[in-house]
Amino acid sequence: MNASLRLTLRTLTSVALIAAIVVLYFRFLQVNVTTVALTMLLAILGIAAQWGLTESLVASVAAMLAFNYYFLPPIGTFDIADPQNWVALIAFLITAITASQLSIRARRRTAEADARRREVERLYALGQAMLLSGSVRTSARDAVNSIMRTFEIPGAVLFSKVEDEFFRSDQQTLTISDEQLRWTASSEEPLIDHQRQIAIVPVRLGGQVLGSLGFIGCTLSTAALNAVTYLVAIGIERARSLEEGSKTEALRQSETLKAVLLDALAHDLKTPLTSIKGVVSHLLALPRNAAEEELLTIANEEADRMNRLVVEVLEMARIEATKFHPERSPHGVSEIISAAVEAQEESLKERRVTVQVPASLPDADVDFEFIQQVLKQLLDNAVKYSPPGSPLTIAAGVAGEKIVISVADHGKGIPEAEQARIFEKFYRGRASRDETLGTGLGLSIAKGIIEAHGGKIWVTSQPGQGSIFSFALPVSKKELVQ
Amino acid sequence: MSGAKILVVDDEPQIRRMMRATLTSSGHQVDEARTGEEALEKFRQFLPDLVLLDLNMPGMGGVEACKSIRAGSDVPIIILTVRNTEKEKVEALDAGADDYVSKPFGMQELLARIRAALRRAPSSAESGPQRFVSKDLEIDFAGRRVRVHDKNVRLTPKEFELLRQLVAHGGKPVPHRELLQAVWGPDYGDETDYLRVFINHLRKKIELNPAQPKYILTEPWVGYRFAIAEGLEPA
Repeated sequence: MNASLRLTLRTLTSVALIAAIVVLYFRFLQVNVTTVALTMLLAILGIAAQWGLTESLVASVAAMLAFNYYFLPPIGTFDIADPQNWVALIAFLITAITASQLSIRARRRTAEADARRREVERLYALGQAMLLSGSVRTSARDAVNSIMRTFEIPGAVLFSKVEDEFFRSDQQTLTISDEQLRWTASSEEPLIDHQRQIAIVPVRLGGQVLGSLGFIGCTLSTAALNAVTYLVAIGIERARSLEEGSKTEALRQSETLKAVLLDALAHDLKTPLTSIKGVVSHLLALPRNAAEEELLTIANEEADRMNRLVVEVLEMARIEATKFHPERSPHGVSEIISAAVEAQEESLKERRVTVQVPASLPDADVDFEFIQQVLKQLLDNAVKYSPPGSPLTIAAGVAGEKIVISVADHGKGIPEAEQARIFEKFYRGRASRDETLGTGLGLSIAKGIIEAHGGKIWVTSQPGQGSIFSFALPVSKKELVQ
Repeated sequence: MSGAKILVVDDEPQIRRMMRATLTSSGHQVDEARTGEEALEKFRQFLPDLVLLDLNMPGMGGVEACKSIRAGSDVPIIILTVRNTEKEKVEALDAGADDYVSKPFGMQELLARIRAALRRAPSSAESGPQRFVSKDLEIDFAGRRVRVHDKNVRLTPKEFELLRQLVAHGGKPVPHRELLQAVWGPDYGDETDYLRVFINHLRKKIELNPAQPKYILTEPWVGYRFAIAEGLEPA
């Protein structure tokens, strides 16, 4: 039934009600004029409260005319003899208007409250749907579908700025163009077209632009639109952070896996070497002839060399394949230097080693063991590539917020062309290529260790003058605060 | 030197074969265990003079086995392992191991370490200091007892020997090498990391603030020193 027909019917019913009162009092019951007026007033009040302004106005005009014609003297005319009777007529009108206004307002409030309750229920349903979605993509798609379903609108579209993707419920959402969605995403204000029943709202979370949301056939209030976009923003961000979290976890797990694999590899490579080395070294201690001695010595040396290779290759692999995390804490530089010098005591036996460490030097924020290893490598190289008996210098100092430690020798130096390459993996300087010892990994491992500390390592050298290998390390934060 | 009873604990059959052959030919008596659990069982039956213990074994690992053996015995334990990081070393020494040899090793070196570990004797308590007493620390060398703030503190034999060596030098710095040779044996001297670990243990046990020690002081480049003067402050 359409609205105008309903209105006509109600109006006719109202007039009929007034007519019924007139017939009742005029034909059957003899009462005074006041009773008739009050009865009509009640009827108008009822019509106004139940239906509305139009019906009650028509009823009040009808009541006024009938009251005048049938009950006010002179009866049977529309003349009004007593001006006091005008009061009754105006009372009908005012009652009709006031009562209908009040009832309309009350009804509108109820309707609004109903609508709001429905919106809240739908937002709740949408919120639940958003929180159950998995990845960013599925949650964007779910958001579009849930919005359509819960708000009973024909279409919705979501533009996700990070992925630069449009999630459309169907073809009819193409009435909202990609450009409009992009444009709204970067604007502050929603774009609402009441005529075409289209709304586009920017989706933001904490000032960050996530995209925009378009509604087709939209009858939602601005508050509801904002709430929907807020829910969608939270849902997408939640999915994104979950995705990133699992990515980080996967990365961490793969790192752990690599570390475990390398550990297992080290074990499996070293176990046969242990048997070989044990057997050969034992045989070397037994009585034997010169040929046996020579052969066993070769086997022994080669077992050692194999072991060095295994150690260095695995260490390089560990630094490269896994995110190598030094266990850093504040350590005194002189303690690191003395530990390294003591460890290399055997090879430094015939060298004069000068150590220059200022007493005021702050602690370095480093992994003691690994930095000691770097120093040992540099000392080892210095001994290997400088004439026997020539002096070595280890110096430390502060440069900016870094501690620089250097090892200087008086060897023949490194040609400029080779200086950049000596830190490369497996690169071995021209001068050392014929030696059997060494893997060409020592300096690359040192470089890996220093870089994992956020530092750098370099060499300055002049052929004939010797070389200075230096590395810079971060100062302990504790020291900086003090 | 007469042969000793040595328990070889390793999950690798070839290593057990090699160890049995070389140790037996060096005059020792050998029994084997493949896991930590088996090691504990064999330990009770075989009653070895020394245990060679691998760290990386399936089931009960070497560290756990080491702790279990140490809980009931002072037998020397030498760890043999492919791992060679400071962390592993500290963990093994913490668990009560006496020494740590990384694989692969030369047999002569291992035999020397076995000799040194077996030579470990209840040290000459009659030479050197008898007692050290200060406000908060009391050491009874003859009775092998240490009290900190009137509470008994338990030291391992190595820790006690290290403390005795330091106090015996009467406040003078003791070089790393000298300490190592006195406590571990004449073939030692480069294992400064052992000293770091054991000195840390000692400091944790007898110092009020191990980060700022009052008694056991580090002498950079040289070694360690027991601060007797500070220990004898008037109460």
